[in-house]
Amino acid sequence: MTPFKLQIITPEKTVFDGETEQVIVRTTVGDVGILNGHEPYCAAISIGQMRIMIDGQFRRAATSGGIIKVSKEKTTILVQTCEWSDEIDVERANAAKATAEERIKAAKSDKELLLADAKLKRALNRIDTSRFN
Amino acid sequence: MASGNMKAIKRRIKSVGSTRQITKAMELVASSKLRKAKSRAELARPYFNELYKTMCEIASANTDFSTIFTEKREVKHKLFIVIAGDRGLAGGYNSNVLKMAAAAHKDDAEKPKILAIGRKAGEFFSKRGYEMVESYSNIAEDIKPNTAQDIADIAIEMFSKGEVDEVYVFYTMFVSSMSQQPESMRVLPMDTVQLEDYGTMNYDPSPEAVFNRIVPKFTASLIQCAVVESFASEQGARRTAMENATDNADAMTESLSLLYNRARQASITTEIIDIVSGASAQE
Repeated sequence: MTPFKLQIITPEKTVFDGETEQVIVRTTVGDVGILNGHEPYCAAISIGQMRIMIDGQFRRAATSGGIIKVSKEKTTILVQTCEWSDEIDVERANAAKATAEERIKAAKSDKELLLADAKLKRALNRIDTSRFN
Repeated sequence: MASGNMKAIKRRIKSVGSTRQITKAMELVASSKLRKAKSRAELARPYFNELYKTMCEIASANTDFSTIFTEKREVKHKLFIVIAGDRGLAGGYNSNVLKMAAAAHKDDAEKPKILAIGRKAGEFFSKRGYEMVESYSNIAEDIKPNTAQDIADIAIEMFSKGEVDEVYVFYTMFVSSMSQQPESMRVLPMDTVQLEDYGTMNYDPSPEAVFNRIVPKFTASLIQCAVVESFASEQGARRTAMENATDNADAMTESLSLLYNRARQASITTEIIDIVSGASAQE
């Protein structure tokens, strides 16, 4: 497969800037695969897993919300967080899961419940992703 | 008399010296934190720029498009997100941005609601009877994207529900290590710039849907950038303030030592006069 340029940017740093053969991301409308020469495309990314292929090998990462933008020159993925499966701190994810569950139980308002729910989803996604390692 | 004066001066010198030690240490800490904050601000910028560009592209390519996030409505209630420090001793850093926020609504009929970031901002507004939406402290130094998102979500929810009609952020722009400028920025409703060259893009499922998904991310990123920028400014302001304090302490020590030496000489002279006059009285 022909490689193409990919950038993965988070608010904290540029996570990836290089060539890839294939990208699969979880958008709000389902998993979308991008190969070289894809038409210009833009969609929102939801909490989920992302896979990018380098030298025929898939690398997996846990992402939270953001967008993917495919243009002729390059593909840009902007996500709030992006952790490679081998970099996920499982203990921290488990701790985050426990806190989130407690907060859901203790939530007094819809707002609190919503925030706690999102936290739980992110934690579960990280735990799931780390299992592929 | 003279020896009592000397003792007092000596004590002053000592106390100025220990104050100098503290201000010097704070200066060093601030400059190392400043360096870190500056690099964080630079790392945060590409994400922010790219998001903003995407939003402008969507708005430019779709002239008929409108969402509640870009629509201007009659302004009755405002939300101010005010970013200040957790600690003082940073020159005019805290008071400049707080005064600016307080002055920004003096023509309005109603006081704005306040979301405070930084202990000093929380104290300032709650003391003056503002309606506090939320008050965060000790998050500026190491703000996480998720924290910024929580703050953004609060603002967006209030805006979408119509509890507020405009959202502003007050922060301190980092111009250089020597100069920091308090700034305000309207976050919602949002302004987009008409781009000349936006190309064609397929939005999945629709431009509006993608745009509405980006707005919370963009707001969070904007808050994150503003917090990081403010934190760098705080450290810059503190470093300058502490540098001045250290210099002042040095100048004070110098003039006090001069006084001390003078007092010492005066006391020696008096002693000699005493001895000489005593001896001549004996003759």
